[in-house]
Amino acid sequence: MAVKFDRKKIGDGIHFTTLINERQKTNTVMIHLLTPLSAETASVNAVIPYILCGSSKEYPTLTVLNKKLAELYGAVIKGSVSKLGDTQVLSLMAGCINNKYTFSGEQITEEMTGILAGCLTAPNIVGNGFETKDFELKKQELLDDIDAEINEKRSYAFKRANMNIFRSEPAAVSVKGNREYAEKLTAASAYEQYKKLLAAAQIEVFFVGAGNSANNCMNILAETFSKIDRHYEGDNHSYMSPVKSDVCRVTEAYDVAQSKMVMAFKTEYDNIVSIKLMNAIFGATPISKLFMNVREKLSLCYYCSSGLNDKKGVLYVDSGVEHTNVGKAEAEILNQLEAMKCGDFTDDEMENARRALINSWKGVEDGARSIADWYFNQSYSGRSCSPEKQIEMLMNVTRNDVIEAARSLKLDTVYVLTGKEAAE
Amino acid sequence: MKKEIVKNERTGEQYTYIKHPTGLDIFIWKMENYNTTHALFGTKYGSINTKFKTKNEPDFITVPNGIAHYLEHKLFENEDCDVFSLYAKTGASANAYTSFDKTCYLFSCTDNVYDSLEILLNFVQTPYFTEETVRKEQGIIGQEIRMYDDNAGWRVFFNMLQGMYKNHPVKIDIAGTVESIAQINADLLYKCYYTFYNLNNMVLSIAGNVDEDKVLELCDKLLKNNDDPELETAFEPEPDTVCRSEVTQQLEISMPMFNIGFKARPENGIEAVRAEIETNFVLSLLADESSEFYKKLYDDGLINSSFSSEVFRGDGYFCSIFGGESREPRLVRDKLIEEIERCKIEGLDEERFNIIKRSYYGALIRDLNDAEAIATTMINAGMEKVSAFDVIETVANVTFEDVEKRLKKQFNTDNVTISIIEPIDVKEELS
Repeated sequence: MAVKFDRKKIGDGIHFTTLINERQKTNTVMIHLLTPLSAETASVNAVIPYILCGSSKEYPTLTVLNKKLAELYGAVIKGSVSKLGDTQVLSLMAGCINNKYTFSGEQITEEMTGILAGCLTAPNIVGNGFETKDFELKKQELLDDIDAEINEKRSYAFKRANMNIFRSEPAAVSVKGNREYAEKLTAASAYEQYKKLLAAAQIEVFFVGAGNSANNCMNILAETFSKIDRHYEGDNHSYMSPVKSDVCRVTEAYDVAQSKMVMAFKTEYDNIVSIKLMNAIFGATPISKLFMNVREKLSLCYYCSSGLNDKKGVLYVDSGVEHTNVGKAEAEILNQLEAMKCGDFTDDEMENARRALINSWKGVEDGARSIADWYFNQSYSGRSCSPEKQIEMLMNVTRNDVIEAARSLKLDTVYVLTGKEAAE
Repeated sequence: MKKEIVKNERTGEQYTYIKHPTGLDIFIWKMENYNTTHALFGTKYGSINTKFKTKNEPDFITVPNGIAHYLEHKLFENEDCDVFSLYAKTGASANAYTSFDKTCYLFSCTDNVYDSLEILLNFVQTPYFTEETVRKEQGIIGQEIRMYDDNAGWRVFFNMLQGMYKNHPVKIDIAGTVESIAQINADLLYKCYYTFYNLNNMVLSIAGNVDEDKVLELCDKLLKNNDDPELETAFEPEPDTVCRSEVTQQLEISMPMFNIGFKARPENGIEAVRAEIETNFVLSLLADESSEFYKKLYDDGLINSSFSSEVFRGDGYFCSIFGGESREPRLVRDKLIEEIERCKIEGLDEERFNIIKRSYYGALIRDLNDAEAIATTMINAGMEKVSAFDVIETVANVTFEDVEKRLKKQFNTDNVTISIIEPIDVKEELS
């Protein structure tokens, strides 16, 4: 039973996507605000969803809001911030069990959606800014988060690599911005930025769950948005990242037992399904060339896999390597890519990768989050292709398409985070 | 073959339990309209099971740490190929994990379910290692152990366990140590394999779009008859008190991280399930995001939103852990102890108890969305010899009095260990 997709305009630059999925025992509502990434606004934008989801005019403290949500059978409202190419995405997500599983058939989905709408459009304002104490705590958390990025070395290496891969492009900006701008934030400046976003940002709403609540939720949100004075600034886009004329090489030393290496290749190849298949054969599965050769056969890395940022035309290879093996690992990764470019992969390898992709795309409809993210990604690129349709396209990708996709990749950046002794 | 349909009226859900003639416990939960099927084949054998005996070997023997995890890695290799390359033919995504008390092999797929199940049942029952392949794995596992050395979240947890437990092997990293894995050879692997990978000690759990009869047909064909070795595992006696009250380490991080653990006496079977659930209620009442205590510490800047709590339990161990980041972790511990002692005297908040109950129940309903969550719940319940619905029923029936009693029983504020990871002081290092 396929998920039923429907996308409606409910305001200026505001769309409501309904994904009816009767197998879900829960209902989920997601509101995404899209805005161009920039160093100046990344930090303030990164703090806003967390403030909004921590209180509202109606529920002015986290304690009363959480108490209300707990009464709604543990409904959840949470904020997050993420990056999609050159765009920063501020998200407010709400989820609860389907009304029919409550003890006495309460309309909790509608009530939760109303609370979410209040969090977004009627925050807890004191004077000309967000409530100060709450704001200062969220700001401190943002600063702590920025400082804590170094704790997780694999993702930290990735962040540092991105700064070099994208250099002067918006995508180089870290999703939480940097300390310099974060330190200057005030409750009033954050509120000003919030008002701008609410008026001007592209807004994409997703509802996933049983059909009986979908329309009610759309009406609640359409009504809420109709009261906003919108000055819509247009849809967001990302641009393919230009390849550097010389390979950018950066090595940085930290206190770590194991090196992390991130290699980035760039492409302008626009057949996304072909390049996804190429990526799967090359490094995205445990039967890929990178896993079987670099990790298993040669034991050069504990992890070594590839991934795509299709919005920017970048293929990453992410690896964990003993300090002394960094050079060998790089050479072998390049070797494996060369094999792809020469068509040196078997039909079996290609069909296996194809099956792995089909398996993962068919499963997308079973999860609320995964199906909402799928269509969000689609709508960002101006498409509305279902998982089923994309599988059909995948079936038509040929060996030559894969080779062509591989040949379009050019090495752009090699970033190594290594140990202090190793660097000396 | 014994077959039983296990129903739950509250949710309208059901699954089938089968005791296969080979001794294997099989659980099948059909999920209508789903594309995904999730299957787990596991043994009650984890990192803590280093001391055991069977009817063939009447004296307890002790083996090096890290064998369960090592075996997991090696079983993925057949004589002629890697298991992943077999799954490649079905498109399933496969994986395995070793925890403190179990090792599970799993796959998730949308097509070719029975071909994937055949692969799973076959490779887990067919060990193949030589001295050479065992040696090669030492490099890979050694790197995995070193990778966790840099992981502050992992270190803060294990350091706490090392402080808390004097003898119980739960304090040792699941993968063992570089030294302990150096002692592992093919003979030891075979010995542990034939001891623990006996179908009498194993569970198969499948949730998703499956036909029960086809699954059983495959099981009849592929499961190998084996004699029940009457396996017994044992642990050195563990005192009620903690071994050390504080453990600290320095790593390159930005803010101190902490785990504060309250050691309690472990229980078994349904009593352990009840203890975990009631303790979860206590943890929520004491210090979840809606509690006054959380708000006070948060407002004072003593904790941030990373603060959380959980029950950690298994065969021979039970503790409640509070974790997070703080500039003053020792003060957080002192405040916690103060709050626990206050609640023991003044009582907990009954209104919040009722709210938490709904919330806990809602989260369990949410889990029923997901084939992986269901299959995992069934295998965990199967290994503990309880029903997969026992958790949801216990939550629905727990009373406020039960929870107040649990607080007094499970939180002895003398048996506390705090583990702290401090940022490396750069200035100190230079001087």
